[in-house]
Amino acid sequence: MYGFTGKLLRVNLTDKTIKKEGLNPKDAREYLGARGLGTKIMMDEVDPKVDPLSPENKLIFLTGPLTGTFAASSGRYEVVAKAPLTGTIGASNSGGHFGPELKYAGYDGIIFEGKSEEPVYLYIKDDEVELRDAKHLWGKTVFETTDTLLEEVGEDAKIACIGPGGEKLVLFATVMNDRHRAAGRSGLGAVMGSKNLKAVTVEGSKSIEVAKPKEFLNICKSSRKSLKDHPVTGTGLPTYGTQILINILNESGGLPTRNWRDGGIFEHAEETSGETLTEKYLVKNKGCFGCNIGCGRITKISDGKFKSFGEGPEYEAGWSYGANCGVRNLAAISNANFICNELGIDPITMGATIACAMEMYEKGILTKKELGRELPFGDDEAIVEFTKMTGMREGFGDKLAMGSYRMAELYKHPELSMSVKKQEMPAYDGRVLQGMGLEYATSNRGGCHVRGYLTSPEILGIPAKLDPHVTTDKAAWLKTFQDLTAVVDSAGICLFTTFALGLPEISEMIRTGIGLDYTDEEILQMGERIWNLEKLFNLEAGITGKDDTLPSRLLKEPIPEGPAKGLVAQLDVMLKEYYELRGWDEESVPTIEKLEELAIK
Amino acid sequence: MLVKYFAYIRDYTGGKEIQIEHYNSLRALLNELCKKYGAKFESKVFSGENLSDEIIILINGRNIVHLEGLDTKLQVEDVISIFPVVAGG
Repeated sequence: MYGFTGKLLRVNLTDKTIKKEGLNPKDAREYLGARGLGTKIMMDEVDPKVDPLSPENKLIFLTGPLTGTFAASSGRYEVVAKAPLTGTIGASNSGGHFGPELKYAGYDGIIFEGKSEEPVYLYIKDDEVELRDAKHLWGKTVFETTDTLLEEVGEDAKIACIGPGGEKLVLFATVMNDRHRAAGRSGLGAVMGSKNLKAVTVEGSKSIEVAKPKEFLNICKSSRKSLKDHPVTGTGLPTYGTQILINILNESGGLPTRNWRDGGIFEHAEETSGETLTEKYLVKNKGCFGCNIGCGRITKISDGKFKSFGEGPEYEAGWSYGANCGVRNLAAISNANFICNELGIDPITMGATIACAMEMYEKGILTKKELGRELPFGDDEAIVEFTKMTGMREGFGDKLAMGSYRMAELYKHPELSMSVKKQEMPAYDGRVLQGMGLEYATSNRGGCHVRGYLTSPEILGIPAKLDPHVTTDKAAWLKTFQDLTAVVDSAGICLFTTFALGLPEISEMIRTGIGLDYTDEEILQMGERIWNLEKLFNLEAGITGKDDTLPSRLLKEPIPEGPAKGLVAQLDVMLKEYYELRGWDEESVPTIEKLEELAIK
Repeated sequence: MLVKYFAYIRDYTGGKEIQIEHYNSLRALLNELCKKYGAKFESKVFSGENLSDEIIILINGRNIVHLEGLDTKLQVEDVISIFPVVAGG
């Protein structure tokens, strides 16, 4: 098959063996690559009941067939494992340059098994693949590790690694690559840490063949032009980054404020917005491999107590530390986000967990004595300090490292955790954006916005203008978005392309790239197959329909002000419709007929 | 009435917000704003007689496409927020 290299690396960290094996073409035809194929491998090889931090869990780095090709924004790869934060299938993808380089070295992906007794890293340079000692890297930050390895293996290599967060099994640790890019959610960095795997270095000199070069080039060129011409991908994202969303969500009354307690309007939103970031701190924008959007932010805080330099923050991190913690100081928000990248932890869960602790402090559940300091909403120094302490598991940071659900449960107040399946929901209030409420509840990796981004039609009017306050048709829209997103993730291109491109363009890239004669509908059905397989993994792991819900705050506490005043998330009505559309029973179990239709065995 | 501008709309208006006298409908208000800010602003807001696809207008937080569009009636205390089409996530 074209697009793929056709080869996988299987690295057993227990007995230090490395095998090169063929990619199963049937699996690739059914599950594409990256997220879909990774889930298939997990389903075939790992018991879903496994302890995520045990040697029996596997950690899979997998590219898609379009990764590293001329396709638009094709820098993505996926990290797949059972996730420690949620206990669900974990799949997080990341941009940068690491994924394409892995393919240029000749591999579609790497399956890590077992656990090394001592810290190691995997060195890859084309056909040369070996495990190397990483004792000298253990304890180093993401940036220190990257710098040291580039010196050791050569500056042309691309590096993926964990920081102290992953080593210390912070349950929301990230796998970082190219310094600032993150496979960010659900704690896959902790899986890597549990295996004593510090890093992967890769350098390649091979090329990727596509099935129909002329047709492929044509669709890629026209897609790139569409991205350039579209006001979102051609102007808005390059100019302001994703933080541009702060003001529009706030004006719409859907920016969750102070642990979702104070509704969806943050009185200091403008100070934390993309406009302010651009005006005060942006050095320049930056794109990943083969991307002509360039939404990345290189950001510098030049002076003051939060003086720092790095990339970001993205909208969800800007929200988690900003409105959600009641913090108005964008320098502190940016600094805390940089520290997350440095220590290798997820800023969405980190900020949201601090916000939960702030509410617990204000309610008297957590005390100054226990925390080591006061922790009111709005404390800009606290977000930076507790982020450092969590990444290093120092002081109260050791409890924050569990994420908000386990921390709040420890103090008998799990209802204060704004999470679904123990993962924190990001920056869109499901009481205001009814479709996003359904999206959080049904996401196969817990509270997450990028499994079916209904914010796009509900607030931004892309590709249609849906009223956020109503439930009508949201289940059907969500199903389509979830299935299409599974395709995009599994192909190895960036989800942001879908602001300008639709199923026909994406399907054409897949068809001409890998040479499969699938219709658009059949390609969308691959997404549905992937979604159902993820659900089956979760069901076998013990995550059932009962977990497809929202925090009681969203279901019972009406939004106190703004355009959606008085609304709660009307989940029941949408969920029932959603299960029916999915062909699942009332407990969210796919019916035999549905599994036969999708050819899932 | 309070009119708020966001993102690169501010490049055309030269500011973040203005207080403005009452206009009966959104169309009347936008016509006045086009006179005030000129052709570039107008080209972002209107496509012929219709609202441009590149603009999002909220009245008190509600997108006008879910109200009465350009014919939406305005009250003295209304807040009108004008955005270019943006996205992120």
